[in-house]
Amino acid sequence: MGWILFKRALRDLKAGWARYVALSALIVFSIFIVTSLMGAAVTVIDYTEIRDRELCCEDGEFSVFVPLRNEELEKITSKGVSVEKMFFADYKAGEEKVLRVFKVREKINQISVVEGALPANDNEAVIERRYSEVNNIKVGDKVSVGGKELTVTGIGAAPDYNNMIKKITDSVVDSKAFGLLFVTPKAYDELYKTGSSVSSEEYYYAYLLNGKMTEEELKNLLEDIEFDVDDVDDEYFKEYWKRMTKKKDDILEGIDELKDGAKELADGAKELADGTGELNDGVGELKKNVPDLKKGIKELDKGAAELEKGVKAYTDGVSKVSSGASALSSGASKLAAGTKALNNGAKQYGTGVDEYAKQAGAMAKSEDPYVAAVAGGFAGPAKDLANGYSQIKSGVSGVNTGAKALSDGAGDLYTGIKKLKANNNALRNGVTALHKGTSELKKGADKFADGIDELYDGSTELDKGAKELAKGAKELSDGVKEFSDEANDMIDDAFNIKTTNLMLFMNHADNPRIDTAADDVQINYTASIVFGILLVVLFAYVISVFIVHTIDQESSVIGALYSMGVKRRTLTLSYVAVPVIVAFISGVIGTLVAVLTPAGIEAQLADSLSYYSMPALSVEVTPFILIYGLVVPPVTAFIVNVLVIRKRLKKTPLALLRNEKKAVRGKEIKIKGLKFISMFRLRQMLRETRAGFTVIFGMFISLLVALMAVNTFVYCNKVKEYNVSQTKFEYMYNYKYPTEEVPEGGYEAVSEGFKKEIYGYKFDVTLMGITNDNPFFDTGDLPDNDTDIVISSAVAIKYNLKPGDEFTLEDTNSGRLYAFRVARVFDFSASMMVFMDIDRVRDMFGEPDDYYNVVFSDHPLDIDSGRLYSTVTKSEIEKSAGIYADMMGPMVTTISIGSSVIFLVVMYLMIKMMIDRSSFNISLMKVFGFRKKEVRKMYLDGNFYMVVIGALIVIPLCKVIMDYIYTRYLVSNVGVGISPSYPPVLYVIIFGVIIGLYLLINVILTSRIRRITPAEVLKNRE
Amino acid sequence: MSDKLFLTVKDLRKAYGEGGSYAQVLKGVSINVNRSEMCVIQGTSGSGKSTLLNCIGGLDSIDSGSVAVDGTLIEGLKGEKLSDYRRDNLGFIFQFYNLVPNLTVRENIQVCEYLTKDPLDIDELIAVLGLTEHQHKFPAQLSGGQQQRCAIARALAKNPKVLLCDEPTGALDSKTSRDILVLLENINRKYGTTMLIVTHNNSIKNMVDHVIYIKDGEISKDYYNEAKVPASELEDL
Repeated sequence: MGWILFKRALRDLKAGWARYVALSALIVFSIFIVTSLMGAAVTVIDYTEIRDRELCCEDGEFSVFVPLRNEELEKITSKGVSVEKMFFADYKAGEEKVLRVFKVREKINQISVVEGALPANDNEAVIERRYSEVNNIKVGDKVSVGGKELTVTGIGAAPDYNNMIKKITDSVVDSKAFGLLFVTPKAYDELYKTGSSVSSEEYYYAYLLNGKMTEEELKNLLEDIEFDVDDVDDEYFKEYWKRMTKKKDDILEGIDELKDGAKELADGAKELADGTGELNDGVGELKKNVPDLKKGIKELDKGAAELEKGVKAYTDGVSKVSSGASALSSGASKLAAGTKALNNGAKQYGTGVDEYAKQAGAMAKSEDPYVAAVAGGFAGPAKDLANGYSQIKSGVSGVNTGAKALSDGAGDLYTGIKKLKANNNALRNGVTALHKGTSELKKGADKFADGIDELYDGSTELDKGAKELAKGAKELSDGVKEFSDEANDMIDDAFNIKTTNLMLFMNHADNPRIDTAADDVQINYTASIVFGILLVVLFAYVISVFIVHTIDQESSVIGALYSMGVKRRTLTLSYVAVPVIVAFISGVIGTLVAVLTPAGIEAQLADSLSYYSMPALSVEVTPFILIYGLVVPPVTAFIVNVLVIRKRLKKTPLALLRNEKKAVRGKEIKIKGLKFISMFRLRQMLRETRAGFTVIFGMFISLLVALMAVNTFVYCNKVKEYNVSQTKFEYMYNYKYPTEEVPEGGYEAVSEGFKKEIYGYKFDVTLMGITNDNPFFDTGDLPDNDTDIVISSAVAIKYNLKPGDEFTLEDTNSGRLYAFRVARVFDFSASMMVFMDIDRVRDMFGEPDDYYNVVFSDHPLDIDSGRLYSTVTKSEIEKSAGIYADMMGPMVTTISIGSSVIFLVVMYLMIKMMIDRSSFNISLMKVFGFRKKEVRKMYLDGNFYMVVIGALIVIPLCKVIMDYIYTRYLVSNVGVGISPSYPPVLYVIIFGVIIGLYLLINVILTSRIRRITPAEVLKNRE
Repeated sequence: MSDKLFLTVKDLRKAYGEGGSYAQVLKGVSINVNRSEMCVIQGTSGSGKSTLLNCIGGLDSIDSGSVAVDGTLIEGLKGEKLSDYRRDNLGFIFQFYNLVPNLTVRENIQVCEYLTKDPLDIDELIAVLGLTEHQHKFPAQLSGGQQQRCAIARALAKNPKVLLCDEPTGALDSKTSRDILVLLENINRKYGTTMLIVTHNNSIKNMVDHVIYIKDGEISKDYYNEAKVPASELEDL
């Protein structure tokens, strides 16, 4: 029965041949493209592996400043590592053409000769395949390099130049302008001796580790190799060397001075420490005596207070004494007057006494005895009186003298006291001031004591500090000594261009020239697998819609078969037979066309061969490709259809016999105010959700494919446009030996190369130190610190960076990581560069203040080529910018057309099926009297809204998905950072194309609706 | 169960819908049909005769009661087992033939051939059914009668124990109907196939052994025809 039902499937296939042929064509096309891409990818990948093995592709390469000596080479080779010279020099080979000349390789990176033979004599050469093709050079032709004519004896490719980029930082191959030439060793040397190379000779070596050393070990070994300056003949190098060593000497001298200074500082600090020790001791002593001082001052204050009190008493006494003296003086005067009177009285008394004596004498002489007796009685008293008087007189005289003296003394005393009194106030003020002073002194003493305490503490600290200082200074001195030693090494490192011979060390995996074609097609391979399955799913789903339609039509038959005992599995298999057959046959055809015709794998290979330098490859078809092409389509179709139709076949036999259907979706939709036709149209759309979904799904898949092309178109054009518009310099000179002075009219820069990985690929990112007045980069003011960088939009987009983000770059030579912070992003897509102030970069890398290795200019500068690694001109950038667009153009067109066809076919088949399914109803509508226009509105025009809504959802969705895929997978190996964002007008165009395709189908299917006649009703009366 | 008894339906009940649309279609139907017997179930439209047939054929579930065909109780069967039951025991003939449109007559018959290990000889069957000259035609190229003959051949190909015929002549004209009935009669005679024919045609009862009337979901009459008339002599078809 299985076979019988299979026959049914075949007849079903035959009956719907047109639609199945259309779908089959799409599957054939999809599988053809997919298997072609996969086959080409596998061929390239496998070839790469074989080539790497057979041609002894290098494990890595390194370049040195001067060629390694034999003994140095032996140091490496004795360990079992193979090393071969890959020296080269670039020569002009015509207007804007450069040929890189190598000696013919012996062991490593051997040339794969595609045509002809290796050079047999010194006038012959093998030319690189792509260059020969693009420039139409054939075996037997002559090429002129450096004024020497060479006959091309062969055309070939070398595994170390699979991606023919001139510099490893280049992102685009331009085989028109750059190629390789392999000559005999003698021819090579003679050519270089002519001095006609456009840059100095590069000393590259390729190595094979042979499992004897690790990469790290080899690198370490190479880093230890230094070169002898005397080995270098290059005049530019010698000049540069002299200049740089002078700088080195200056630095060393400075370091010596620093060392001496540090020693002196240490000695001084020691002395200072000793001094502060003494000081501290003194202050300690002082501090010890401060209490006595304070006590003394207190006493002094007390004494002053006493003194003040005494002075007060004294002055009061003086005042009193003054009045006493005054009284005394007055008394003395009176006394003097009294004494005078006394004196007078005494005198009078004396006179009286004399008189008395005279009288008494006279009497004594009297005869009268009585009288004489009396007088005799009077004679004693009179004598006493006379004696008394004499004494009085003497006393009075004394009194008088005393009184006078007293009076005079009192006068003097008074005068003196008056004077004293006159000084009383001054004395009192003085004493008060003295007391105040002593009080202040006391306070001062307290403060002094506190101060002494603090002084002591300070002195102690000072002492301690001085000791620390001394210790520090000693350590500094020692450190400076060590620093001096280290600095010498560091300076040697900093100036290692002159001492360490190794300049570049790059392993196979990091080399952007090697195995690039394989990396590139690996993306095709992965993308093909995914897109192939997606497309087959789409087409299988489209077929399933037809199958579901058939099942609906044959519902009662299926029910009858179930009734008989036919099992669901058998029926399911019979229904999935059609999509499986279609998918299988299509897969077979697609695979065979891809494998056997030149349009398939060969054509895809040609794409690789037209870009990468490889010999012609023979197509390789792996079992996986065959399995993919032959098995994936039918299996996918089987799975999709089983999933879709099993629900339909799950109904009970009775339900199938009765052709029971669930409530028609949309039946319940009622919108007030909506006219009948509009409502009908809406319901019709809802009834045909499955087909509508398929149209949108088809739109999604085909748009996804289309956007891959559109993204590529936008990407390539942006590369072309931005590289030209954003490159403002005309010349960029990369120096090997910069001159002391920047050439007039040039802007110097310091360039440092780094690597940064993203999405599994490592790209070169250049840190460019520029001056703020550099007119070629709109960086704005460069950050004034060592961590902030201004990054180009290329870097920002490639690494998804925004201001504030941290960005770590790796110096692969030293293995160091440098962490930066993004300060700003500016529009510059031409190169993966980040920017800092030139002085910061110089400091960061220990370069002298006037160091530079790049000069930008808007006009050609007169620089000797021997000083340069390379020169990049804007015209070169412009030319290479267009290569992407030119290269991808055919692919963009093919994919755009292919995806449009896919969408067109899917949409046509689905909408046509909707109409076919409704043909009875359409016929009925016509019977009822609806006009053609109305019928079209009811059954066809509703799809317009579905397509519009679908497009509005699908376009942004696909864009988001494709951008995600595009940056992470499709251009993840391209060292360009460009946003694949579209200008708004492009979205309008895409929307317009979708609507345009719909309208085209609408026109075609309108005629189909017209062809449905009312007679259909009769045909379908059952 | 006696050796003759082939089909037993006991107190079969079946209802559809719920709430306002609830309808008790079969209300405790019980019938017995003997082996190799031709039995007609007759009733008006909506009487429940097709539902009874569907329940016996395992196409519809039963709410209660039991159905046993040749000793097999079907009420507990589900999925594959139900398919096996139909495969091993039943042949179906429908009013609208239900032939696979893109298979020829022969292929339509062959569809069922593989369902049994012991199918009838296809060529013989085609010859018996008078389809030899049409065997390579597609259903759309045949008349209604020819299509129904093809459907009968398909049903018989796997040599079923019982042939369930749901209005086998419902879509046919009188002459063709008679031809089909004659054919069924011959088959019954030739192969001893038990036949259960659901019809609203009043004449067919005359040609069969056993007549069952069903009305409003209940058996209203159940009797054996003592005076069978050959199909070729039936009138008012």
